[in-house]
Amino acid sequence: MTTVPIGPIHPIFKEPLRIKLVLDGERPIDAEIEMGYVHRGIEKIMEGKHVHKGLYLAERVCGICSYVQSFTFIECVEKISKIEIPEKAKYLRILTCELERIHSHLLIIAMYCLSIEHETLGMWILNSRERIMDLLEMITGNRINTGYNILGGVRKDIDKEMITKIYNVLDKFEDEIKTIREAFETAPLVKLRSRDIGILKYFDIMKTRAVGPVARASGLENSDVRLRYKYYKELKTYKPVSRKEGDNFARNIVRFDEIEICIKMIREVLELYQEVGGPIREKCEIKGGEGENRFEAHRGELTYKMELTNHGFIKRIMIRTPTTMNLAAYRYMLKTCPTVADAVATYVSIDPCISCTEKTLYIVEDGKIKYIW
Amino acid sequence: MIKKFVRKRSIHLCVVNTGGCNGCDVEIVSCLAPRYDIEQYGIYVHNNPREADILVISGPTTLPWIDRVKELYEKVPEPKIVVAVGACALSGGIFKEGHVLGGIEKIIPVDVKIPGCPPRPSEIIEGILKSVHLLAEKEKRLKK
Ligand code: SF4
Repeated sequence: MTTVPIGPIHPIFKEPLRIKLVLDGERPIDAEIEMGYVHRGIEKIMEGKHVHKGLYLAERVCGICSYVQSFTFIECVEKISKIEIPEKAKYLRILTCELERIHSHLLIIAMYCLSIEHETLGMWILNSRERIMDLLEMITGNRINTGYNILGGVRKDIDKEMITKIYNVLDKFEDEIKTIREAFETAPLVKLRSRDIGILKYFDIMKTRAVGPVARASGLENSDVRLRYKYYKELKTYKPVSRKEGDNFARNIVRFDEIEICIKMIREVLELYQEVGGPIREKCEIKGGEGENRFEAHRGELTYKMELTNHGFIKRIMIRTPTTMNLAAYRYMLKTCPTVADAVATYVSIDPCISCTEKTLYIVEDGKIKYIW
Repeated sequence: MIKKFVRKRSIHLCVVNTGGCNGCDVEIVSCLAPRYDIEQYGIYVHNNPREADILVISGPTTLPWIDRVKELYEKVPEPKIVVAVGACALSGGIFKEGHVLGGIEKIIPVDVKIPGCPPRPSEIIEGILKSVHLLAEKEKRLKK
């Protein structure tokens, strides 16, 4: 039996992580994941800081899903202090969140295409992702780490010109994504490298608590937290998607499906936005207490749990991110990976985000640090 | 003569995330996209330190990386350039109080600095293109 270490620097990984694959011939039978390269102790830095500062730190838990992190953080604070945000701000938040979901999904599908050596499709997807980045920049002022949220609302309003531009770009983007999806579904290379590879069965979800698109591709439709989130209940176009197969192909198709629903949702939200008036931010006061907030990040369920003092200082904060659970599911997927290259592609297909995951320090007996998770 | 020409047109990058928030890495990936297209300048991202000319570093250098970055730096053949991308790599940025070293400059020499959190793809490309001239100069010095 041989072990093959992959990482921490690898052409496909955006982030440093080492996977040790145990091989039997060419077939991977087990994997050991070595982490700790991105542990910065972000929860510890947040403790004792004011909420306004914590907001910027929350954004930098992860750069790809930065808006969702700050969204969940600020909603948690508002839940604790019982602040109602104005209608306009609510729609603007949903709008930005769904735009970011599109960009995150496109990025990971592109990375998956690069990992199965279908570079043309990968580049194509990266190119149409730039349209969405433009919209994000127009609305919030920055491409990544936007700093758009603020206690009691959002920082900036959008005007009529912007709305027409969003509609125009979305129309073009919808056509593009249709062609891309068709290319992805019909390409023989994609079929060869992703169908029936890396299967996660429905019953294995119970063991690993997989969340997000990974769980939805295996048939667990209810894992979408947006179903139970207050803002999304009133949207008519929102409905969760799911597939039964649970292989690499299904995971990516679920993401394509979600992108389509996101586009519809953005249109609906813009219509609702135009009907309401009023300010985008309200004056408010922070009250102490503790509470938690869950939301569906692009990779799965995201939980913020925190305790605040009366003046808005963070006493203790706990962040639970989706990748922790999905990485546990990775070991079950390995059973249906015939080669090392497929194991790498499967790893990319679960959409790992390591900088989200590494927050708590685990010390194992005899004083030796074994896992930093 | 040929080498001089090739040095300008064939540059290999190795991107190392030393514990940043991914923001910078995502922007480096965006540089590959056809809109910015870093390959039109003859710059290829391979992520293999042994054949790299330029080491691109993003992130505040977490503790496990300290030794590894030094090792990596030695693996890169001469002449080599180090480009630090983002506020994190320059000074530790927002994570300065955490379990990080803060600033890659403390352990290896940095030639080009690109500030921003994260810098835009066009700024990253501009920074890398500026460092290409340094590469030729360094080689001249090496010959002497
Ligand atoms: S500089 Fe900013 S965007 Fe870049 S890794 Fe650091 S926190 Fe993230």
